[in-house]
Amino acid sequence: MAALSEHAIEEIRALPPRFPHIRSAVLPALDVAQDELGYLTREAMTEVAELLDLDPGYVEGVATFYTLLHLEPIGKHHFYVCTNLSCDLRGAYEICDHIKRRIGVEGFGEVSADGLFSLEEVECLGACEFAPMMRYQRRYHYDLTPEKVDALIEAARQNGGDRAADSPRDAAAASQKPPGRRASSRGPTKEDSAELNA
Amino acid sequence: MPDNVRPQSGDSRRDLRGSYGPARHHLLTSLFGIEGLHTLSVYRDRGGYSSLRKAMFEMAPEDITAEVKASGLRGRGGAGFPTGTKWGFIPKGVPGPKYVVVNGDEAEPGTTKDRYIMENSPHMLLEGILIACYAIGAHQAWIYLRGEYDGPFGMLMAAIAELRAEGILGDRPLERDYPLDIQIYRGHGAYICGEETALLESLEGKRAQPRARPPFPAVKGAWGRPTLINNVETLSNVPWIVAHGGAEYAKFGLGTAKGTRLVSVSGNVQNPGVFEIELGTSFREVIMEMAGGPPPGRRMKAFWPGGCSAPVLPEWGLDVSTDLDEVARAGSMAGSGGVIVMDDSHCMVRAARRLLQFYAHESCGKCTPCRVGGNWALRTYDRVLEGQGSEVELGTFDAIQESLQNGRCLCALGDSAGFVIASTMKHFRSEYEEHCLEHRCSVEEQVVAASA
Ligand SMILES: Cc1cc2nc3c(=O)[nH]c(=O)nc-3n(C[C@H](O)[C@H](O)[C@H](O)COP(=O)(O)O)c2cc1C
Ligand code: FES
Repeated sequence: MAALSEHAIEEIRALPPRFPHIRSAVLPALDVAQDELGYLTREAMTEVAELLDLDPGYVEGVATFYTLLHLEPIGKHHFYVCTNLSCDLRGAYEICDHIKRRIGVEGFGEVSADGLFSLEEVECLGACEFAPMMRYQRRYHYDLTPEKVDALIEAARQNGGDRAADSPRDAAAASQKPPGRRASSRGPTKEDSAELNA
Repeated sequence: MPDNVRPQSGDSRRDLRGSYGPARHHLLTSLFGIEGLHTLSVYRDRGGYSSLRKAMFEMAPEDITAEVKASGLRGRGGAGFPTGTKWGFIPKGVPGPKYVVVNGDEAEPGTTKDRYIMENSPHMLLEGILIACYAIGAHQAWIYLRGEYDGPFGMLMAAIAELRAEGILGDRPLERDYPLDIQIYRGHGAYICGEETALLESLEGKRAQPRARPPFPAVKGAWGRPTLINNVETLSNVPWIVAHGGAEYAKFGLGTAKGTRLVSVSGNVQNPGVFEIELGTSFREVIMEMAGGPPPGRRMKAFWPGGCSAPVLPEWGLDVSTDLDEVARAGSMAGSGGVIVMDDSHCMVRAARRLLQFYAHESCGKCTPCRVGGNWALRTYDRVLEGQGSEVELGTFDAIQESLQNGRCLCALGDSAGFVIASTMKHFRSEYEEHCLEHRCSVEEQVVAASA
């Protein structure tokens, strides 16, 4: 049985023309697979390899290199908490300990028994002036406190069923709108940008 | 932890500027904070894209490169290479495509300025990119943006869509027969992708392992084609330089470090943030005034002046200036402009351990000293911090830092790991000795005593 849906396969097939060389499509293709399955199974990687005419071992080799690609299952809600120095100096590890207690895991990378949550320790996310901080649901969350974290966890529990996909999706796609087709000429509003920094 | 004095919610980027008095010499950020600056209409109302117009209609490509050379601008990605000189390396008259690749991987710990630019004024960056394309004879630019930057990605995407809609990107930008296009490629989480040749490998769909040079990217870069690689902040300076001329830019700064730069100050300071400074400003002003110094009752113990890859400086480093050469003379590097400040309630051995965890994790594995040295150092730190150190470990640290440095690896990641060990041992040897020989940590003892 195919690991990927028809829809995902179509999306992957559309990737190569965006690049000067087909190989550049491999990471965006893995994003598509990961967003559909939650993590990269061997079957999914093999299928990506076939679609892009690459060796399965090659694709797996690429996938293992990058932090944002997961080869093991993660929780439906996955917290990327920065623990590098600037965040560490402002209490990142205490935040991690708090999250672990709240979601009921012992360590980084472990998935909570209900499959809802996991927590990953990551390197500097480039927002050190807002330390401690994390990336969750394609968004940065700043100046973390136990209360802020609790609110996020509570909200996730409320609508627990949905997985929060967080691959850096649309790698090339997004900027590919053909010239002339009027996308929104409105940039993000002030509210949007405030959101980005919530 | 004391409550942060910086406002907590909403668009704190603007609040940051307000938190440090009136603009003095602001070239890059003079418009930041204006409502709607990220939109094409507001950016254009403020003179945006007039530099692109000037470049494409009034200047020959080599004139643009000459202005950039005259400006004295040096790369803001970390290495500080003269930008105009680099542009001049791109071969002319070769058939086939050339590329401008923008380094937006920003992963050097402590560094947040590129995010700050992209979120505040995405069009300023895009304008700089387009001018660079025109100057070197490229029609296609790729922005390599770190994958975690969802916010900047959204801002850039919206800005690019506006440019397409307005015909500034496309087959006939500004009604000239010079097709221009910008694409974004999102990274997938690997520090090494910021190293320019590893970045190219990643862009080509490979494991991001640095290439041996030569050939340099200027000759054989992305997909084997001549490629100009510049940092986000570097290119963001270009519209100003084209508008005002290189000579005007060179009036700012000190010695061989011209213009202004963004510094991002983080760690144990009361007002962390991104500040635009004229090069030559002292670290005392940056850390103690702009960033508000350490929290009340604390003393600054040390700081990393240019990301954690720049050797740490103790308190006397405050009197060093941000001039690139002066930082080098002080035994460190201006690097990426990420200033990480640590106060006296933190243990240097522990901090060094955390940084080695970073380098061990991020080593791409290609060069042996870096692959092996980082992990070996990390295990040694762990042993020492568990109270199992001895004279032997002091020697081990020395041996590892030596083997990591001096160009033994294809890129500077290994050297940087070595710098962390060497510089923390040089300036804070007594803490290493305490841990290794006496199995105690006086910093921790003081913190515990104070809270008792
Ligand atoms: C390990 C390593 C990481 C780097 N990370 C970055 C980065 O995140 N962003 C960046 O612009 N340059 C980074 N650089 C420097 C680049 O290799 C390159 O010098 C720079 O992008 C050139 O642009 P510039 O001349 O405009 O500074 C890194 C270098 C090394 C060795
Ligand atoms: S150290 Fe955490 S965001 Fe930079």
